[in-house]
Amino acid sequence: MQENQQAYDRGITIFSPDGRLYQVEYAREAVKRGTASVGVRTDQGVVLAADRQVRSPLLETDSIEKLHRIDDHVAVASAGHVADARQLVDFARTHAQRHRLRYDEPIDVETLAKEVTDYIQRYTQSGGARPFGVALVIAGVDPDGTPRVFETDPSGTPYEWTATAVGGDRETLMGYLEDHYREDLDLGGGIALALETLAQTDTDLDADTVEVTVVDVESGRVRSLDTDEIAPHVAELNLETDDE
Amino acid sequence: MSEFVDPVTGADAFGDPTAPELGVPELADEKQHARDESAVNSTGTTTVGIATDHGVVVATDRRASLGGRFVSNKSVQKVEQIHPTAVMTLVGSVGGAQSFTRTLRAESDLYEMRHGEPTSIHALATLAGNFVRGGPWFAINPIVAGVDAEGSHVYSVDPAGGVMADDYTVTGSGMQLAYGTIEGQYDRSMSIDAARDLAIRAVAAASERDTGSGNGVVVATVTDEGVEIEAFDAVDAALAA
Repeated sequence: MQENQQAYDRGITIFSPDGRLYQVEYAREAVKRGTASVGVRTDQGVVLAADRQVRSPLLETDSIEKLHRIDDHVAVASAGHVADARQLVDFARTHAQRHRLRYDEPIDVETLAKEVTDYIQRYTQSGGARPFGVALVIAGVDPDGTPRVFETDPSGTPYEWTATAVGGDRETLMGYLEDHYREDLDLGGGIALALETLAQTDTDLDADTVEVTVVDVESGRVRSLDTDEIAPHVAELNLETDDE
Repeated sequence: MSEFVDPVTGADAFGDPTAPELGVPELADEKQHARDESAVNSTGTTTVGIATDHGVVVATDRRASLGGRFVSNKSVQKVEQIHPTAVMTLVGSVGGAQSFTRTLRAESDLYEMRHGEPTSIHALATLAGNFVRGGPWFAINPIVAGVDAEGSHVYSVDPAGGVMADDYTVTGSGMQLAYGTIEGQYDRSMSIDAARDLAIRAVAAASERDTGSGNGVVVATVTDEGVEIEAFDAVDAALAA
């Protein structure tokens, strides 16, 4: 152990003298090591997009899951530790069903996001535990038809966005979203923007490894796009990149 | 218990979806009291809920009795506001019904704070049914009635947790007399005033012949504006108001 390492650097429940929780900050670093996920809100629905890193041609691409369906009307994108994400995904799924059991109605996206962040927060305040090394984008359409996009971070703080990115290269992707997001995007425009944003990372996009999930306001249901639907968008993007 | 545990308390991170979040009264005590039937204040009761296109009217009698043989109170309020635009009625054991009312009101308030808007009436009735089915309130049969974005709703909640929506519903010992008054007279498009008259007359009919019902009327009117509750010692006064 390094001599300059202090108790507050190791202990999750201990503040540093300047009021920081280092373990939570280290968990944020873990998120940055993950490949990026993007969420975009439009009047017609929400879009989640993520790029999967396929390390070997032998790996089955579908076994890398970055987008997850939570309920009929909500989906989640993750960045960071996949195994940690799976725990939170199952928490969210269970909570969404618990809400249906209790009230016989679908949960709204904000309440679900806050239940997840409350759960994450508990892991920043208890000894012997470590924080979740993952950030989620929770996107869906409320029972009243309102599209919503939320972000959770390892501290357990919920944020609502019109468009956001989590994971590696976040600053670059957020910069791109800030420059190109428009309030009047339709769902197709949202899909295009999400993919364009993902394309700002260093790796080239491949329709086989990109995942896109939408929840449109009209049906209020989660739908994953087929490779055939993603391919034209990606082809167009790669063409633009080649021109440059 | 689920696999999700609060790391600080060690408790289940979800809790029981059918139980009140703020806990329930001890079942053992309640059961013990219930055994001595003659000592339990019961509302006997006639409670009527009518849904119209313009809002909901709920009317109840005002009598509490011991074993149905002695009038133990002549001015009970058996309809309580539990939500910005919903009420419930107290039917069955007074203790059980009062405790249930407090619980449902607290749960409704918690939901409203957390979600930024009140529960739908369907969600409120579902919650009530879950609690009655899973909790210690075994001797109650309330009506949950109110107005939400979808319109006017009246639900009966039976002692086994059955939840049924209807245009109008009656619970309590005088139900057959009250139903007889309402049948054939109800119309979904009737005015609030007409529904109010009908509900009062249904309680009045039951009060005439049912020994568990009587001593005047309490009327609750619920519209999307809110809840108004008025108490009357006599039926005539209620009809005239």
